[in-house]
Amino acid sequence: MSAALDRQIRPIYDALDTSSNKSAIVACNKLLKKHPKNELIKALKALALVRSQKVEESLILCDEVLDMKPTNDAVLTAMMHVLRGLGRHKDMVLMFEEAYKQQPNNEELGAQTFFANIRAGQWKSAQQIATRMYKQFQEDRYLYWSVISAVLQANDITTPSSMRTLLYKLAHRLTTSSPTPSYQNTDRFHLHLSILRELELYGDAHKLLDSDVGKAICATSLSCNELRRDIWRLRGLSKEEGELAEARIVDKKDRNWLEFLSVLDATFSYLAPSPDPESSSSAQANCSAHVTRSQELFQRIAEEDGQADRSGLLALLELEKRVRSHGLSTDPERLVKLMQQYFEKIGDKACCFEDLKPYLELEENDLAQWTSYSESVSPSFTTNNELRRLINSHKLLRYNLSSSELTVEAEIARVALYIQQYLEGLKLGAHLPSTELQIADDLALLAGSVLVNLWKLTSEEQYLLNAVTLLEFAITKSKQSFQTRLLLIRIYRLLGAPSLALDHYRAMGIKQVQHDTLSHFLLSRASTFSLASTGDLTFITECLESTQIYLSNSQETADFIVRAFTSEKYSQIPEFIAFEDRLDNSLQRDIVKVEHLRMRIAHEPITSDIIDMELIELKFIFDRTHHDNRDFDIIANYQPRALDSINTQTLLFGRKEGLGWLSTFLKLYIRAFQQGSDLDDTVEEKLLIGDRPKQTVDPENHVPLRERLLQRIDEELTELTPEELLFIDYARALADWLEPYHDYTRPPPSVVLAEAAKQTELKTGYPLKGVDLQALNGLTNGHGKKDEEPPAVTEPPELVVKYFDNVKTRFSGVRGSSSPVQALHVATLAQEALLLFTVETLRFKSASVVKVNKLGALVASFKTIRSNAIAVLREISADLVKQSEAEGTADKRKAFVDGCTIVINTDIDHDFALNTAKKVTDARKKVLEGVGKGVGRVCTAYAH
Amino acid sequence: MSILRPFKASDMFKFNNINLDIWTETYGIGFYLSYLSRWPDLCCVQEAPSGRMMGYGASSISIRCLHMTVSHHFRKPPVIGKAEGSGAEWHGHVTALTVAPEYRRLSLARKMMGLLEMVSDEIYKGFFVDLYVRCANHVAIDMYEGLGYSVYRRVREYYGSMGIGKGGRDEEDAFDMRKPLSRDPNRRSVRANGRDMVVSAHDVS
Repeated sequence: MSAALDRQIRPIYDALDTSSNKSAIVACNKLLKKHPKNELIKALKALALVRSQKVEESLILCDEVLDMKPTNDAVLTAMMHVLRGLGRHKDMVLMFEEAYKQQPNNEELGAQTFFANIRAGQWKSAQQIATRMYKQFQEDRYLYWSVISAVLQANDITTPSSMRTLLYKLAHRLTTSSPTPSYQNTDRFHLHLSILRELELYGDAHKLLDSDVGKAICATSLSCNELRRDIWRLRGLSKEEGELAEARIVDKKDRNWLEFLSVLDATFSYLAPSPDPESSSSAQANCSAHVTRSQELFQRIAEEDGQADRSGLLALLELEKRVRSHGLSTDPERLVKLMQQYFEKIGDKACCFEDLKPYLELEENDLAQWTSYSESVSPSFTTNNELRRLINSHKLLRYNLSSSELTVEAEIARVALYIQQYLEGLKLGAHLPSTELQIADDLALLAGSVLVNLWKLTSEEQYLLNAVTLLEFAITKSKQSFQTRLLLIRIYRLLGAPSLALDHYRAMGIKQVQHDTLSHFLLSRASTFSLASTGDLTFITECLESTQIYLSNSQETADFIVRAFTSEKYSQIPEFIAFEDRLDNSLQRDIVKVEHLRMRIAHEPITSDIIDMELIELKFIFDRTHHDNRDFDIIANYQPRALDSINTQTLLFGRKEGLGWLSTFLKLYIRAFQQGSDLDDTVEEKLLIGDRPKQTVDPENHVPLRERLLQRIDEELTELTPEELLFIDYARALADWLEPYHDYTRPPPSVVLAEAAKQTELKTGYPLKGVDLQALNGLTNGHGKKDEEPPAVTEPPELVVKYFDNVKTRFSGVRGSSSPVQALHVATLAQEALLLFTVETLRFKSASVVKVNKLGALVASFKTIRSNAIAVLREISADLVKQSEAEGTADKRKAFVDGCTIVINTDIDHDFALNTAKKVTDARKKVLEGVGKGVGRVCTAYAH
Repeated sequence: MSILRPFKASDMFKFNNINLDIWTETYGIGFYLSYLSRWPDLCCVQEAPSGRMMGYGASSISIRCLHMTVSHHFRKPPVIGKAEGSGAEWHGHVTALTVAPEYRRLSLARKMMGLLEMVSDEIYKGFFVDLYVRCANHVAIDMYEGLGYSVYRRVREYYGSMGIGKGGRDEEDAFDMRKPLSRDPNRRSVRANGRDMVVSAHDVS
């Protein structure tokens, strides 16, 4: 390239860098006039086009460049971005392979070809390329690239299990063929060891690890040491490991809990199941002797460390627990004594309760003794440490309360005590800056938990009102307490005040990957609260924002996988790939997708475009193997073990949605959209750009999609609320009824393709790629004439006809109950049922379709169903609006404050409660009014 | 009592109890992946026996101090490390070190620092380890001094845009604290009057 041209191309890069795609296109066009054949300019234009969503135009240029078989580095890089933007990872592989073939001595091209395969998840070809590169360039690193590629292929879900060992053997053979030993590089060593472990070549692994180099590596590398520990265990070397661990604890003062666990495992290693009673009694004797030794060791450590480290103390407890479980205990009181000792030493640390939790499941005498000990903790506190100790004692006591101790009266007494101590405890932290957490926060959370339980016990809403008032107060005293906010979010949703839940959610500053793990707090069944039908896109926007992370994952993570190859950090590669997969196939991602869809169809007019697009996307999702990354443990649980956790207690509608819920809704919508769409598989294949998702070896997925959509799996249905179940049954009956008419009426693929091609050409000025209209023309002639008679029109099924009447009854059953959530649930599902009906009947809107196919009688029955549905929905709409008028009034606020007797006192005064009351009733008013009016709007939009 | 183990990419799904705390920033996934793809041995996690994450740390290794975009933990700066510098400037840099609120006061930061120093010393053969801390963060400064760190210089407006708050200059200035490793037996990487050596943020980026 001439220097002049180079200078002219610079500005295009600058424009692309600043996302000025339009000016990039203009600049490209200008240069292309002078250099019509220049592949770099074409590639850059294709990139600018794909970034401006002009896919068709970009495709044409992209293919032109690919046909030129580029080898120039700049062109290849630009094309890499183009193909990535189009989702064509496999074509990227072909492009680099072609380039590498032309310049087989170009090492950089070889590496790029390898990376392209890695990005596309084609481990096998990656392995072959790496092997070739190793032969050619004689760099050890390429040998290891081929080793890890074989390992990755073995671990891939598409690899049959029979191939796994074979691939690991290949990896092993390649490793041992290396001219330099693997231990020259920690990560190569790690890879080598993991292969040996997989192949159960423990002897070989042991030899490597036991060498001086091996020991030195393990001393500084946590990950190699992790593998070593695992291999020792698999080899049955727990006694040796225990000795090593003891040495580390004593000589090196290592306080890694893993070392203590090794000593514990070694202590009980004698008790492997043995059929011979004699050997078993000697084993017991050996074990008891070792127990004494370990006890002395831990005791010594505990004394040496004092309060500086908990390891010794906790190891004593764990030892006693295991002694008991093996029936070797000699002192029945020892466990509780150790627990007391632990509490005395560590009780003033926030983590004491969690540390002791595994030992709390006591019975009878032990329990009585422990309880009376915990109760004896002095309730007065003048220092932070005393306050923490008191909080720990409350948590410990509460954990062991039995159902007979959890009466309404007893719980009310506990709330009063916790609140009083909370307010007292706040004084200790009065001087803290607003960025600090109050130690007393946990008392407010404890009180909040009791109030939630009182609500569960009595179904009386006043307890939740007390809870939000208290927790709102707590957040004014400790602004950064995310635990307080999490509980508030949950309770506000239960109370039907979603906008307040949203405020607290936003205040937590959820970012990046946290969207995947935490957005369930806000978006679980959020369509119940969505006002999208009135044009309020708040929740739709939250859905879209929470999904940005999946985009960054697909754009960025692969780059870091490539980086890990370049820097030879083999230990990280499988971790990165697993991370990418977990995020890409996240359950929460697709639950949000479904919620978004449910909100979207209430907002946007239902057209065949939406139906087609959503259909394709949902089908992709349906084939995914999902991972549940949602974090439910984050919300602190202080409920007794006899009860459900606070997480379970505060789930909206008491149901947690998971894979079953997702699968049920996916099946419902895929089926409805398939019926409503003209796209069948052959059309889809032609219209779709980019790679298809990988197929697993799971035999389930080889059942044809049609059959899978019809499966009704009881286990999945347990995740649904009764209202959702009714909706599912309605949808199924509707689809069963209309299926034959859709199948008969749907135009043949050739017609659909011809139409799509026509539209594309009209829109972009270019023909649709890959569709041969000439050939299609021959097929389209028969359009309109069918050999069979149209299916006879049948009466609508009972489930469909009666659905809306049923809804009416159910709505009147829940309307007016204190929290509006049930009424909102019934109303939004009924609205969704009407929208689904619209999807299913859209095809028959066209008079000519009805006439040609003789479906007049069918359409007539639609009218009856629709007018009944609309009548019911209008009533519901009016009722919700009426209810909203009663909310946000002085009466409601007074009733709220009157119910807050438990928390109102000198610190949390009447005015504070009134303020909370105003917020809650206003929020309810807003959602009732919005959903009510929205239902009305939907009725108007689809009245005919 | 806690498990010290390597930080793994999937720990990003588990670190909410640490990262929801106001002083710990949640970065894009690229931040964590870039450290893991270069210095995985300088990234570690402290985990409770229950499997709950208690804290994590990371460092890097290099020649000059890289420009820092990390806002430090107020009480204990977050531990993620890297190795920096050439010749006598070759050193480890603690980038992020953080402990969940409920696990503070358990010497976890101390243990993670121990690991990061050990690896910077034995594997990367650095001359020293350094870190930045808000001048107002007395708790952290005391802790680092207890661990053998000393102030090398004061970096003006290092935590830039916050403006002068209650704590005055101490809120926005940082101390660059250093601790010599075994390759620097003559302690050339530290000095006694570090608190008086003031540089601007531009000089260290």
